Amino acid sequence: MPVAASAIYFLNLRGDVLINRLYRDDVGGNMVDAFRMHIMQTKELGTCPVRQIGGCSFFYMRISNVYIVIVVSSNANVACAFKFVVEAVALFKSYFGGAFDEDAIRNNFVLIYELLDEIMDFGYPQNLSPEILKLYITQEGVRSPFSSKPSDRSVPNATLQVTGAVGWRREGLVYKKNEVFLDIVESVNLLMSSKGSVLRCDVTGKVLMKCFLSGMPDLKLGLNDKIGLEKESQLKSRPTKSGKTIELDDVTFHQCVNLTRFNSEKTVSFVPPDGEFELMKYRITEGVNLPFRVLPTIKELGRTRMEVNVKVKSVFGAKMFALGVVIKIPVPKQTAKTSFQVTSGRAKYNAAIDCLVWKIRKFPGQTEPTLSAEVELISTMAEKKSWTRPPIQMEFQVPMFTASGLRVRFLKVWEKSGYNTVEWVRYITKAGSYEIRC
Amino acid sequence: MTMHGMRGLSVFISDIRNCQNKEQERLRVDKELGNVRTRFKNEKGLTPYEKKKYVWKMLYIYMLGYDVDFGHMEAVSLISAPKYPEKQVGYIVTSCLLNENHDFLRLAINTVRNDIIGRNETFQCLALTMVGNIGGREFAESLAPDVQKLLLSSSCRPLVRKKAALCLLRLFRKNPDVVNVDGWVDRMAQLLDERDLGVLTSSMSLLVALVSNNHEAYWTCLPKCVKILERLARNQDVPQEYTYYGIPSPWLQVKTMRALQYFPTVEDPNTRRTLFEVLQRILMGTDVVKNVNKNNASHAVLFEALALVMHLDAEKEMMSQCVALLGKFIAVREPNIRYLGLENMTRMLMVTDVQEIIKRHQAQIITSLKDPDISIRRRALDLLYGMCDVTNAKDIVEELLQYLSSADFAMREELSLKAAILAEKFAPDLSWYVDVILQLIDKAGDFISDDIWFRVVQFVTNNDDLQLYAAAKAKEYLDKPAVHETMVKVSAYILGEYSHLLARRLGCSPKEIFSILHEKLPTVSTTTIPILLSAYAKILMHAQPPDQELQNQIWAIFNKYESCIDAEIQQRAVEYFALSRKGAALMDILAEMPKFPERQSSLIKKAEDGEVDTAEQSAIKLRAQQQMSNALVVTDQCPANGAPPAVSVGQLSLVKVPSMVSTEDHNSTDQSLSQENGTLSKVDSQPPSADLLGDLLGPLAIEGPPGATVQSERNAVSGLKGVLDAVDGSAIVPVEEHTNTVQPIGNIAERFHALCLKDSGVLYEDPYIQIGIKAEWRAHHGRLVLFLGNKNTAPLISVQAVILPPAHLKMELSLVPDTIPPRAQVQCPLEIVNLKPSRDVAVLDFSYKFGANMVNAKLRLPAVLNKFLQPIPVSAEEFFPQWRSLSGPPLKLQEVVRGVRPMPLPDMVNLLNSFRLMICPGLDPNPNNLVASTTFYSEHTRAMLCLIRIETDPADRTQLRMTLASGDPTLTFELKEFIKEQLVSIPTAPWAPVPAPPAPPVAQPTPQIPANDPAAVLAGLM
Repeated sequence: MPVAASAIYFLNLRGDVLINRLYRDDVGGNMVDAFRMHIMQTKELGTCPVRQIGGCSFFYMRISNVYIVIVVSSNANVACAFKFVVEAVALFKSYFGGAFDEDAIRNNFVLIYELLDEIMDFGYPQNLSPEILKLYITQEGVRSPFSSKPSDRSVPNATLQVTGAVGWRREGLVYKKNEVFLDIVESVNLLMSSKGSVLRCDVTGKVLMKCFLSGMPDLKLGLNDKIGLEKESQLKSRPTKSGKTIELDDVTFHQCVNLTRFNSEKTVSFVPPDGEFELMKYRITEGVNLPFRVLPTIKELGRTRMEVNVKVKSVFGAKMFALGVVIKIPVPKQTAKTSFQVTSGRAKYNAAIDCLVWKIRKFPGQTEPTLSAEVELISTMAEKKSWTRPPIQMEFQVPMFTASGLRVRFLKVWEKSGYNTVEWVRYITKAGSYEIRC
Repeated sequence: MTMHGMRGLSVFISDIRNCQNKEQERLRVDKELGNVRTRFKNEKGLTPYEKKKYVWKMLYIYMLGYDVDFGHMEAVSLISAPKYPEKQVGYIVTSCLLNENHDFLRLAINTVRNDIIGRNETFQCLALTMVGNIGGREFAESLAPDVQKLLLSSSCRPLVRKKAALCLLRLFRKNPDVVNVDGWVDRMAQLLDERDLGVLTSSMSLLVALVSNNHEAYWTCLPKCVKILERLARNQDVPQEYTYYGIPSPWLQVKTMRALQYFPTVEDPNTRRTLFEVLQRILMGTDVVKNVNKNNASHAVLFEALALVMHLDAEKEMMSQCVALLGKFIAVREPNIRYLGLENMTRMLMVTDVQEIIKRHQAQIITSLKDPDISIRRRALDLLYGMCDVTNAKDIVEELLQYLSSADFAMREELSLKAAILAEKFAPDLSWYVDVILQLIDKAGDFISDDIWFRVVQFVTNNDDLQLYAAAKAKEYLDKPAVHETMVKVSAYILGEYSHLLARRLGCSPKEIFSILHEKLPTVSTTTIPILLSAYAKILMHAQPPDQELQNQIWAIFNKYESCIDAEIQQRAVEYFALSRKGAALMDILAEMPKFPERQSSLIKKAEDGEVDTAEQSAIKLRAQQQMSNALVVTDQCPANGAPPAVSVGQLSLVKVPSMVSTEDHNSTDQSLSQENGTLSKVDSQPPSADLLGDLLGPLAIEGPPGATVQSERNAVSGLKGVLDAVDGSAIVPVEEHTNTVQPIGNIAERFHALCLKDSGVLYEDPYIQIGIKAEWRAHHGRLVLFLGNKNTAPLISVQAVILPPAHLKMELSLVPDTIPPRAQVQCPLEIVNLKPSRDVAVLDFSYKFGANMVNAKLRLPAVLNKFLQPIPVSAEEFFPQWRSLSGPPLKLQEVVRGVRPMPLPDMVNLLNSFRLMICPGLDPNPNNLVASTTFYSEHTRAMLCLIRIETDPADRTQLRMTLASGDPTLTFELKEFIKEQLVSIPTAPWAPVPAPPAPPVAQPTPQIPANDPAAVLAGLM
């Protein structure tokens, strides 16, 4: 396995080191100053996640208000390093109870050091799965050093746990009520031209699960995806039921999914880890149901006035509704005064991002609220190049709607004790980068 | 500042200061800008207070580095506000946000004018300051008279007049044509009588600007300046607030002295005496003290005084006093002061007669060379370089050499270059020079540029008595265990050329020399191997009696490199191997290299390029250059490296020319030595085969017989052909005018014919001028550069060059300067486009005046038919269909040519090749026939393939049958006639056929041009 990191630094936005860990001696302790000088304090920040300064390479990413910087001096695997950072952050989040920011780091120094020791050795990434690590590193953040009852849990055989066939699940779990939660979360990315033709459109989705199941259950998930259905009809030698089938691209699974079974039978079967995990990720490029249509008309009247009319149409079922809809309509930088008329929600001008921000808290399906605004511009000194007209951006969440049309056909749980389980399934569609040119 | 009360502003500023990072700051700023925009757009309008507040905010944001591109209107409108706080903001923000070209400023002109002519002094000051910062043309037009009035007004306070002077200065500097300064001489003089030092300082700045523009008018101010200087120097009547660390207004002192430097001299003896007294006082009164600020001030005054002293050509005593003072400076511990001392000493060197005095401090300067501060070391090096002359060159160069081994890597290159130049310039004897350079290469091999060792090779080649010494020295260095590659190069070259001179010494037999050189071969890079191969070839040639073992060894090496991947090495190996089998002929071919033409040292040129950074071009330096321009300059007449030198005036040249070849260069009729290392001579004296070979092998490889032999040979022939030459010349160049009193050097016709075959060379030369040509041809375009070199120390005037182009050529000559400065060379590019095929020749009508002599020459330009040919290989499959498809006249013409100068077939092949006709062997089964192909380019025909077949008769070489085919009838005809001309009246080349012409002497043909030949008619018409 290639080296992923010689050192890892956590910096705040000012460039102060919050915490750091050197894994190898090949980078100096002051290399982070170079990062501060050459990346953070220049305009380069955020333009390129990999930079070489001196003999060292810096891989960095920003997560909330923390920069995580990985420094290497040898030929390292960049993708591996970034994957490591992402996984580590997920791990920290699961330890801190959801939040990962400067304060969380400050409050959990000891824990983080302990974790950093565990998840990487001499620059090689190790086990990053929260389920397993939580067995050994039991400091539950700041919250509960004493509340857990260590005597209850016999410390399991660590070697078996790490090397065993089902490394991600402990044996002997018992729940009173056996429940499975399954969420399908999709985000829609869209770029639409001003004339309404779709330039780029795709959906990235993931299946999230939360299991509270006793014993060693075997689960089987059936979706209305094309390959799975075809295989099934083949096996049962009967024609496919009419109905929409979805073609999934780029499917990736959690390590618990039995891939040989998937390859042969095209069914997703797995022994789930305890608690929350991401079962699979996928992408869809064909046959996307767009939840919203946006019809903008922006007229520039002379040099100092503009008229903005935006109509947003929800095209999902009338019984459903979208939450937290925000429509950002860009206006020129020299906007001085704005006045609005909206049929629903509220709008205001935000000078910091040069946008008219229109917020609709609850947006029922099959409706079309409109916004009409008058914008007055201040005259400027230089005859600037004409306004570039950036696209309108949109944010939303539509529960019980999938832009891909993906549905769970079945979720079977099989355990040798044969208990009954309760399955909960949810769907939600969010906006990724949902942009409409105007 | 009236900041209190503006809560919004202070809240905003504290918000900004509390921002954690740049992004937050940007968001806050954008929000505030949005707010300001909304406020400015408000219909209800703003109260003056609000307006003021937001404009301050804008200014603050602007100062943070954000773009503020609105609200200028509001800022400008604040200027006309009645109250001070608003007006102040208006003026300040306007002068920060706007520049002189903004249209908005026009709106303010009237208000500004009202403020200036108003009675309120504060407003006057605000307005003057603003105009002084951003006043443009329109301000100058409308305000200059008012500002001038203010400056002279007696009722104004000094504060206002001070600002008025600076405001006027800006307006004058920006638009000297608009500000009317006629009659300002008296007023300036009057201003200089001012008692108030503030006004005086500002007026002095103005005076400096005025005087720099036109010093003659202001001579009346000169005594006043001296008086002011006297007043300050004697510390009379200087108020406390103008005394800085006990020095009376150093700024005014410096400015006054700067102004004085614009006057050429001080003529009035009284004034001059007073001035020198004052300067004396400054020089005496300045010393190095503890306080840094005081030092800075007093040194500023002192160095300006030094500049003035140098400018005024003070008497020697004063100069020596200055140098003594500087000597004290360079001995001080404080590095800044030492730096200043060294730098000013370097400047003092410009003044001629202080060199002796500076030399007294040589030891101290050499110590500075070891200073820990690199900038001081550089200054010391510059100074040493500048002060070096014949008397101390040995010491200084030795010191530099010693220093080289311990010097900083950053400095070594410069150091070695300077040492090399000094050694070359001031060498007391040449062996010392060789010693120094070899030492230099030994010590700092990595930092030696090629120019340095090229130069040494040139010197050694040009000085016979140096060769033995150099060879011995080179061997000595090669014997050392670790040798730098540059040393290997130079030693290999020298030993290859001259090791036979050492042969009688112990351990210097060819074999031993070879083994020493060969030891180095495995360690050197590919650039050095060719030099080593050349050296081997020469050693082998010099080995007398021939040594079989050595020969085998060397042949083995040549064999080994015959398949080397580097083309240069491979070629040399192959050719030397072939040549070395020729036995006796080898002696001629591998003879000693001829002497190099004298040319300006490329080292010195290089050093001059690098020297621009030292000090700003002060008046003194310019003057110094003017003084030097009558020094001897030998420009590179014939650019050897493809980058012809620019017109050089005031360049240094060799003070001592070690080899006195240059005298015979221009006087002797043998032009070969003045050429680029003998290239033309080969054309004259050798068959084209050797010429081609020489070209391929490059200047370092074998050469033709040395110049002396050529000369004697030519002299022998010239008696015979003198008459013919004259006939030839007048027949082909009927335009040569007899009124010319100046006789050209060399045969013009011969030169022309040589140039028809080559792309660079000399077209014309007489005792005053040399015209060189360098041409590039691409398809039907050509670019010719005429190099007009003045050989004399007086300028050539009324230079005129007119091109008389024939109908088929479009020619454009760039502007030829009217005068060519002494010893300078001028380049005139000439663009040529070939329209259609023709043998007509363009003529350059060139005339100039030297003294009373009017010289006129009509010269044919070598833009002839064959220049637009491009040889192209043709295979049998391509040739025959083409040949057949072009059948019969007028596309295919055949003619039996008689009276051809007899020559063996290979010679004819070479001749045709040299006309860019590609011989395609094997196409014709008969070995006595030649088949050639080429492409002709013109605008009319575009690229056109031409095929030629020549059938010769082995029994009678004076006649042949020629068949030509091309897709254009004119082209076929013209090309046929062209080739015929060349074969019949072969120019120049046949006169000295080497080796041993096979034809009997009877065969010397006269140019046989039949009277009915259209070509002859055409040529006659030209």
